[in-house]
Amino acid sequence: MVSLLEMPQTLPQQLPRQNDRPVDETESATIMIDVRDLDFAYGGNKVLHDVSLDIPAQAVTAFIGPSGCGKTTLLRCINRMNDLIEGARITRGAIHLGGVDINAPEVDVVDLRRRVGMVFQKSNPFPKSIYENISYGLRIAGINKRSRIDEAVEKSLRGAALWDEVKDRLDEGALGLSGGQQQRLCIARALAVEPDVVLMDEPCSALDPIATAKIEELIHDLRTQYTIAIVTHNMQQAGRVSDHTGFFYLGKLIEFGPTTKIFTNPSEKRTEDYITGRFG
Amino acid sequence: MTPAKHILGTFDEALSSLRNNVLMMAGLAERTLDRAVKGLLQRDDSLCTTAIADDEEIDQLEKQIDKDGVDVLLRFQPVASDMRRVVAAMKLSPNIERIADQATNIARRARKLNRHPPLPEIEIIVPIQAHAMAMFKDSIDAFAREDADLGRAVVARDKDLDYMNKMANRRLIERMAQDPKQLRGYLNLIFVSRCLERVGDHATNIAEDAVYAAAAEDIRHQTVAAAT
Repeated sequence: MVSLLEMPQTLPQQLPRQNDRPVDETESATIMIDVRDLDFAYGGNKVLHDVSLDIPAQAVTAFIGPSGCGKTTLLRCINRMNDLIEGARITRGAIHLGGVDINAPEVDVVDLRRRVGMVFQKSNPFPKSIYENISYGLRIAGINKRSRIDEAVEKSLRGAALWDEVKDRLDEGALGLSGGQQQRLCIARALAVEPDVVLMDEPCSALDPIATAKIEELIHDLRTQYTIAIVTHNMQQAGRVSDHTGFFYLGKLIEFGPTTKIFTNPSEKRTEDYITGRFG
Repeated sequence: MTPAKHILGTFDEALSSLRNNVLMMAGLAERTLDRAVKGLLQRDDSLCTTAIADDEEIDQLEKQIDKDGVDVLLRFQPVASDMRRVVAAMKLSPNIERIADQATNIARRARKLNRHPPLPEIEIIVPIQAHAMAMFKDSIDAFAREDADLGRAVVARDKDLDYMNKMANRRLIERMAQDPKQLRGYLNLIFVSRCLERVGDHATNIAEDAVYAAAAEDIRHQTVAAAT
């Protein structure tokens, strides 16, 4: 079995471009995730149609689009979360992470999810202490040395801009934290196993503006070390935090390109109509 | 081109109100400029006085457009073509206001000239005024119709106006040497010509912003050859 953790830690080489993709100006970026000709179905219900895009490394890529357009499904394909849904499957195409087909039979899905962390819409800390929330993933990964775990807990909490707020109460229950703190704890938990990619599925939708601003600031800081893909319904948030944006509609990727371009002068009328609120 | 309606009707109303105020302001500035130059050519002080008085209303509209633009940005956070329209409207209004200021300056000079016997050289102003006014009208049309091609064409016409102003200055300076008694009058005509040349500069700015609004292209600070 191939372990994704054993893959070379250097960033993947730039992939050749294809001519049949939606507008994309990520030409010069190093590509971390390569989604190619992807079809996906829940049973007989096809929800992604021929999606191709390159997600650049060490940048933030936002997926926007109306409910049911397939953006969350695509996000969940990237760390194979959809494997947990009966009847859900990729019917065509492939996703490569650093050049490796993530759906190849020899790929260890636990390793994949360690390399591709995920943060959900609703924060979901374990009903355990703050410390244990972070250390859990490390122990699963076979790290048991206390000093190494302590170090990783602090590094992760600092990385998630939470350390100063919780350093004196690491043994307290995580469920006692505020909603925003819980979400940052979940981000810290994802960072603890040192992933390459962090997927975020509407991470701020349940948060107040202050907590949202802290998460957005965090995303901004994390982009230098991680590849981040975020699904958001908040167009202003996509504009603020992302470097690249993909607009999905009815399971198709309509347009993909630099966020500035998408939000000032999109090439597709459907993108323009959606982001300006002229849809329907 | 009329875009499809927003889901949010109040957004359409706010954008429409902003646009209408810009067009109204442009209409008033055009009338003021026309009155100022007619006041000069027809030696009519009352037209000059009216032109000067009109400036107040235009100043107020500039403030209103700024306020409405900020309000739209704050309330609706427009993006894409909507954002470009709002930004363009807010950038247009100071240029229109400056055109009205040039009209006021012309009207003031005209009243001074009208106190003295007519100068035959006043005819120099006619083609310069026609060219500047046409540039101004077309720049506003380019914004109103979101016509990027017309906007680019207006920008290219500015060099002709500059040349006309230069030729007028040369001739008026020659006349000063030949007829020093009319020195003050010729100076006033040079000033009027300069004001009209500035109208062309503001029309160019408006046309550039119209191109940005229509086509998301920033054509400022290019050579004329590159812009056409």
